[in-house]
Amino acid sequence: MEAVSVRVPLHSPYPQHPDTLEEACAENFRAMAATLCFALSRLPADGRPAVICMTAAQTHEYGRIFGRGTIWARHFPLLLVEPRKAIEALWAAEQALRSGAVAGVAIAVDDLTLTQTRRLEFAARHGGASAMTVLTRPGGLTAARRRWRIRPAPSAPNPFDARAPGSLRIAAELVRSRTEPPALFMLEQDDETHRLRLADRLAGHGLVEAGRTVAAA
Amino acid sequence: MRLRALNDAARRLGLHREQADADARAIAPALLAAPAEPARELKALRALAAWCGCWSPTVALDLSPGGFEGLFLDIAGVDHLFGGEDAMLSVMRRRLKAAGIPCRIALAPTPGAAWAMARWSGKETSRLDSARLRDGIASLPLAALRLDEANLRLARLFGLRRIGDLYALPRSGLARRFRDGDGLGLVRRLDQALGLAEEPLTPVRPAADYRAVKLFAEPVLDMAGIEARLPALAAKLAAQLERDGRGAARLRLTGFRSIGTTATLEVRIGTPHRQTKIWLRLLREKGLDRLDPGFGFDALALSADRTAPVAAVQPALEPDSARPAGALSVAELADRLAARLGEAAVTMPVPVPSWVPERSERRVPAQDVIAAAGLRPVPSSRPRPLLMLDPPEPVEVMAELPDSPPARFRWRRVLRHVARAEGPERLEPEWWQIQRRPVPEREEFVESGMDEFPLKNQGFQGAASENQGRIKGSDRTRDYYLVEDENGARYWLFREGLYDRREEKELVPSWWMHGLFP
Repeated sequence: MEAVSVRVPLHSPYPQHPDTLEEACAENFRAMAATLCFALSRLPADGRPAVICMTAAQTHEYGRIFGRGTIWARHFPLLLVEPRKAIEALWAAEQALRSGAVAGVAIAVDDLTLTQTRRLEFAARHGGASAMTVLTRPGGLTAARRRWRIRPAPSAPNPFDARAPGSLRIAAELVRSRTEPPALFMLEQDDETHRLRLADRLAGHGLVEAGRTVAAA
Repeated sequence: MRLRALNDAARRLGLHREQADADARAIAPALLAAPAEPARELKALRALAAWCGCWSPTVALDLSPGGFEGLFLDIAGVDHLFGGEDAMLSVMRRRLKAAGIPCRIALAPTPGAAWAMARWSGKETSRLDSARLRDGIASLPLAALRLDEANLRLARLFGLRRIGDLYALPRSGLARRFRDGDGLGLVRRLDQALGLAEEPLTPVRPAADYRAVKLFAEPVLDMAGIEARLPALAAKLAAQLERDGRGAARLRLTGFRSIGTTATLEVRIGTPHRQTKIWLRLLREKGLDRLDPGFGFDALALSADRTAPVAAVQPALEPDSARPAGALSVAELADRLAARLGEAAVTMPVPVPSWVPERSERRVPAQDVIAAAGLRPVPSSRPRPLLMLDPPEPVEVMAELPDSPPARFRWRRVLRHVARAEGPERLEPEWWQIQRRPVPEREEFVESGMDEFPLKNQGFQGAASENQGRIKGSDRTRDYYLVEDENGARYWLFREGLYDRREEKELVPSWWMHGLFP
């Protein structure tokens, strides 16, 4: 399904701080890695570790998290919970959120009921953490404060080699939110810090290529 | 065929062990016999040894031949829990009888003397204290010393019948005549019985240093009763640990059923501690329902199988504002998750010094790494995917020879066109790992089985779909490519084997999908 392009005000602010529960839906199979990356980057970085929950079935379908591919993550340590059943993954996510020991949990499930999302939200509020649910199909009713739809976008031009991919880009569409209007954000991975930031914003005086940061003179 | 075990009725008829089956049937035609199952008997003996663990932490199997097998229990230091040795013997006899296990119990200062008294004294319960040890066993026959057949026969020739006959004889003479292949001659057995030589016992389960046992006057039938008694048990164990400044790293809860079997529950704790509330919580997460009481538990034991020193930490004066009140630490969270989901499900990736991607990291149970104060990942100069497929999946690729990136490829039955690509990143096999010889097979290019693949005949090399089984443990050079398709999805592919450097008898290079980038 195509993402709907919405006409938005020019500088619609990208919500930096995650709410207690947000939902990120991968548009298709190919977008799963991008959605996980997006979810992990949205978890708050306050020194506490983060947890990624995926069921064993999903690790067979999409692959296992590769530790060396998560060096850009701001959370350490990264706990990987891979139970057999989805219900155990939800239990583990709830325990982790409620405990107050982690900054956030990214849980990848096939679908969630409204009650389950409510429980996750209560647990996240109790523990002062954030939860990102990563879905493969658009979910039904949910208690999530924001709903995103993620797909990968063609990467930025590579300054050194025209044939090679440049910094990775993700198109994150805020489909529904209680506080902001729907919007489409292009996120790009920064070369040095490897973190996701907005790509459409012109940096500084506008004379540089969109999306690149330059040390202020 | 010989008789191996008999009941009282058979014995009263005059039958005995090791009697030929034919003779026995001649005496008692209505004899009912079943084939002996030594393996099951051993298993039952082990289960009984586990059950006797409620009286003593050190229970050893005694596998004497000739129907004399039994158990050794070392009750040094535990009899005060039962109110003295006599009380303990009567409790044991009563409980064993209630469990339907006929037995003869003897209490003596040495294992040898106890063995002798239990089997040869003719009494159901017997006691010997150290003062009367020599006289106590003097009247027992020589077979009570666990001698082998040859020595027994020789002793009979010499006219020695009772253990008391040996006391007066010179030791050197006895040692010279009654020798044994194992060295456990008569003199050694005598010394063991009298306490002059050591006889170490090998317990069925190594005794835990810290153990709290609670025996119940009446069997406890339901989980609520067990849950109500657990806090007191945990407090007792924690007090023992606190005396030595240690924390429990592995807890075992054992329930001893009144019918003579046991049920156990084990929990592992990553960072050892003594907080009983958390212990109980972990046991509950593991599932107290797994302890099936059956007809009721007679006793419960909580032991710390593994402990480690733990320093007492003074609580801070001001609460840490970043964390909400009552917050757990990460270690406790890992313990709780691992108790319910299993240690293999809660892991952390730990880097391993290897450049082969599937070997470059391993998953370690989260409890271990947190206790070892974690390892920060080192940023690598090369991009690595977020998700890695294990094992790599076969891909059909169109690529220019010898080592250009793919132009298009088919993965999971979807054709994808490559817009941009980077590579190759060449990873040679680690020569210090065990090398497998290349499989000697036909060298010519193997046609792909899928005819609808459109560009097969235009000078590009298609991958052979027959190579699919070879990926594991491969020792060929790999060329990794980071490719991006027209939609922006990024993949990590590799080609295993080189076109311009193929050795003789090597398979055609094959393509595989190893990971997905965000």
